[in-house]
Amino acid sequence: MRIFPTLVLLLLIAWPVSAPAAHHLVDEVGRPVTVPLSPKRIIALAPNVTEILFGLGLDQEIVGVSIHCNFPEKAKTRTRVGSYISLDFEKIVSLKPDLIIGTGAGNTKDMVDRLEKLGFSTYIIFPKNFDGILTSVRHLGQVVAREKEGLVTVRSMESRRQRVINLTRNLTRPRVFMQIGEAPIVTVGRGSFADDLISLAGGENVAAREERMYPRWGMEEVLNRLPEVILVSSMNPKGNYEKVVQEWSRWKMIPAVQHGRIHLMDSDLIDRPSPRIVEGLEEMARLFHPERFK
Amino acid sequence: MIDVRSISFRYHQNWVLQDVSFRIQKGSFIGLIGPNGSGKTTLLKILYHHLSPQQGDILFDQIPLKKMSRPEIAKRIAMVAQETHILFPFTALEVVLMGRSPYLGHRLFESSKDLEIARKAMEWTETSSLSERAMDEVSGGERKRVFIARALAQEPELILLDEPTTNLDIHHQRDFLDLILTLNKERGLTTVMASHDMNIASEFCDQLILLCNGKIDRVGHPGEVITRENIERVYGCDVWVDRHPVSGAPIIHLLKK
Amino acid sequence: MKLVTPKKVILISALLTLLLLGVILLAVTLGSVRVPFRLSIQILIQSIMGGNVSGSDTEQAIILSLRFPRAILAGLVGAGLSISGAVFQALLRNPLADPYILGVSSGAAVGAIAALLLGLSTASLGLPLVSFLGALITVLLVLTFGRQDGKIHPNTLLLAGVIIGSFLSAIIMFFISISQREELRTIIFWLMGDFSLANPQTLLTVFPYVLGGCVVVYLQARYLNVILFGEENALQLGVNVERLRLICYLFASLITAASVSVCGLIGFVGLIVPHGSRLIFGPDHRLLIPASGLIGASFLIASDTLARILLAPVELPVGVITAAFGGPFFIYLLRTRKTMKVL
Repeated sequence: MRIFPTLVLLLLIAWPVSAPAAHHLVDEVGRPVTVPLSPKRIIALAPNVTEILFGLGLDQEIVGVSIHCNFPEKAKTRTRVGSYISLDFEKIVSLKPDLIIGTGAGNTKDMVDRLEKLGFSTYIIFPKNFDGILTSVRHLGQVVAREKEGLVTVRSMESRRQRVINLTRNLTRPRVFMQIGEAPIVTVGRGSFADDLISLAGGENVAAREERMYPRWGMEEVLNRLPEVILVSSMNPKGNYEKVVQEWSRWKMIPAVQHGRIHLMDSDLIDRPSPRIVEGLEEMARLFHPERFK
Repeated sequence: MIDVRSISFRYHQNWVLQDVSFRIQKGSFIGLIGPNGSGKTTLLKILYHHLSPQQGDILFDQIPLKKMSRPEIAKRIAMVAQETHILFPFTALEVVLMGRSPYLGHRLFESSKDLEIARKAMEWTETSSLSERAMDEVSGGERKRVFIARALAQEPELILLDEPTTNLDIHHQRDFLDLILTLNKERGLTTVMASHDMNIASEFCDQLILLCNGKIDRVGHPGEVITRENIERVYGCDVWVDRHPVSGAPIIHLLKK
Repeated sequence: MKLVTPKKVILISALLTLLLLGVILLAVTLGSVRVPFRLSIQILIQSIMGGNVSGSDTEQAIILSLRFPRAILAGLVGAGLSISGAVFQALLRNPLADPYILGVSSGAAVGAIAALLLGLSTASLGLPLVSFLGALITVLLVLTFGRQDGKIHPNTLLLAGVIIGSFLSAIIMFFISISQREELRTIIFWLMGDFSLANPQTLLTVFPYVLGGCVVVYLQARYLNVILFGEENALQLGVNVERLRLICYLFASLITAASVSVCGLIGFVGLIVPHGSRLIFGPDHRLLIPASGLIGASFLIASDTLARILLAPVELPVGVITAAFGGPFFIYLLRTRKTMKVL
C-alpha cells in the first residue's frame, strides 16, 4: 500500500484550512476588517467600548483607552490615547496594538481612515438603540474571542429588560421630560438611547415625536406638555441636585415640580451604549413606577 | 491783538519752531509763507492752541492762551483747515451751525438766535442756496466757503486759514480770496493765512511772515519780504521778482535752470 | 427742513416707540405654544393693571414669566448694542465699527466661559457678573494700551482693541478645547448670542447700566457730530476731544458689557442698526441715538421672536437671525452706497 504519499497529499490539502491566522469580518458600519484570532493588545477609543470589553472579561489585553473612559476603575489606569475630537497617533503607534475598536457615534471617519492607513485593524461598532447594544456586545464577543462571555452578558441584559417590561406592562405611562442640557434646554428625541429607555421603562417621552435626536426646546414647550416626571441627565448626579430643583421650582404648574418628581440621573447610565444601560433602564422604571419596584 | 513771545516747539527730538516772536495787529491780513517743513502748519496749530509750545507764550489781548478754556478760545479764534474729509452726509446748514458749538456749552440744541447767526454767515459767504444740500454733494470750492461760513458762525475776532487755495480752480480762488479780503477790510476780521502760493500772499496780505527751518527769516510788507535775495536764501532757488501791473505787489517768476 | 430740532426728536421717538410697543405685543402673543391672541394681551394688561389675571397657570407663566420679560430684555439689549455701535462708529470715525471691535465682547466671553467651567450656571446671577467683570477689565486694558502720550488716539485704540481681542480669543479657544461636551454646547450658544440663556432677573441688574450709559452718551450727541469732522476741527470749535473720547469709550463699553454679559455675543445689531437709522434719519446724533436705540430694540425683539417660532418647538439662537438679516442688508448698503462715501 502506498500510505506515505497519500498521507503527504492529505497533509498538503488540509494544511491551509486547519490553521487560519485571522478573521476576515465586516464591522457594524460595513467596513471589511481583518482581525487577529485572539487579540492581545486592544485599544478602545470610546467609553462604551471600554465598558463592553472589560465586561467581556478582558483586562490586560486592553492597553489603551480614551480620556473619557471612566468605568470600571481599572480603565483609568490604562494609557490615554485621545478624545472624541483628536487622537494621539504617536501614542497609539507606540502601544503596538493588534486591534483598535471604536464607535460610529463619537469617533470620526477621518480618525478611522488614518488608523487604517497606518495599518491598524480597526473595528467600528454603531449601536443605535437597546437592541443595537446587544448586537454590539455579541459582535465584540466574537471579535475578541470571548463569545461565551458575550452571550452571557447579552442574556443577562435581555432578561433584565424583559423583567422591566413585564412589571410595567399595564401601568399608565407618566409623561416624562428628560433634560440633557441645562442652558440651552436640550431634550431627547426619536432615535436617542434615552428615548428608547424611557419607553422601555414604561414612560412617555414628551419629545418622542421630535425628528432630531437632541432637539433644543424653549421652556414654553415644556410648560405646554406639563410633564409628570422630570429627569435630568448629569455628569455630576450627586452634586447639583439642590440647584436643579431650585431652578425648576419657578414653574409650579408643572406636575413634576408640584409632586417633587425631579430626578438626577447619571448620564453614563442612560446615554452610554454599554451593558450598564440596563441599570439606567431599571433606575428609570423605579422612578416612573415606584409602587412596583419596592 | 496777538502777541507771540519767543515760542519754541518740538514734536519729538527736533525743534520745529525756535524762538518765534511776532505781533498780529487787529484788523490785519497776515500771510505765513515758507518752504515745506518750515513750521507753517505747526504755527497755526499753536495759534489756536491745538498744540502748546514747550517754551514761550502766546497772548490774546494780553491773556495767555493756556489760561483760556477751549470754548473761550473758540469764540475768538476760528480755523479753516486745508482739507476736511466728509464721513457722513451732513447738510451745509448743519455744518455751519456747528460753528455755534463754543456758545452752546452742554446744551444739546441750538437756539433761534444761533440759527440766525448761522444763516447770516451763509449769506456773507454766498452759500445760502446750499443750506439743505449734503456736504458730499457740493463742489470743492463750495465746500470751502461752507467751512468759512462755519468759522464766521463762531463770531471770531481772528480767523486762521491753512493753505485755503490748494486744489481750487482760479475762479474759485479769486472768489474765495475776494471774500476773505472783504471780511477783513469791511468787517475787521483779522486774518492769518498760511500759503504755499507766495504770489497770492503777496497780492492779498498786508504783512508777510517768512519762515525758514522753524525760525522767522523776515517780517514785513510783501515788498520787503519777497525779494530775490530772500527767496534764494530761504528756498535755495533763483527767481525773478517783478511787480504786479495793477497792484504793484511783488510777483515771483520761476527761472529755468 | 432737514435740521434736527427737539420737536423732531420727540416726534420721531414717539413714532418709533409706538412701533416698539407693537413689536412687544407681537412677541408676547407669538411663540411655539399657541396662546390665543386676545388672551395673551388680556393676561399682559391685567397683570400690569393689577388684579385678577385670566388664563390657566401655564398660559400665565408663558406670557408673564417667559415671553414678556424676554421681550423687555431683548429690547434693552437691542437698544444698548445699537446705541453703543453708533457711538463707536463716531468715536473711531469708522463706519465699520461695532460694539465688539474694541475687545469688550471677548472679555465678556472669557468671563462667561470661565464662570461656566467653574460650575456657575447661566441661570445664576453669578455668571453675568463674572462676564461683566471680564468685560470691564478688558475695557481698562484697552484704554491703557490704547493711549499715546497720555491721549486717546482712535487708531491706537483700535489697534489695542483688536490685539487684546485676539489674545482673548486664544484664551477662549483654549477653554473650548478643555471643556466637556455639556459645557461646550452652552459655550457655543453663548458665543452665538441667545436669550433663552438669560435669567429674567438680570433685567434689573442690566437695566440701570444700559439706561444710564445711553443717557450719558446722548448728552454728548452734539459733540459726537463735531468729532466726525476730525480732531482739528473739533478742537478749534472748542470741544474737549480727549474728555469726549474718554466718556464715550467708557460708557459705550459699559453698555456693551452689560448687554453681552446676559445673553452672549449677538452680532450685527450694533453694526447695521446705526447704519440703517442713518439712512432714514440722517447722521445727526441727537436724532440718531434715540432712533437707533428704538429701532434696535424693535429689531432684536422681532429677531428673537422669529428665532422662537421659525422651527418651533426647536429654538434657534437669536444670533443666527440677526446674521441672516445683517449680511444681506450690509450687501445692500454696499451696493447703493447711500450712507457714506467711505463704503
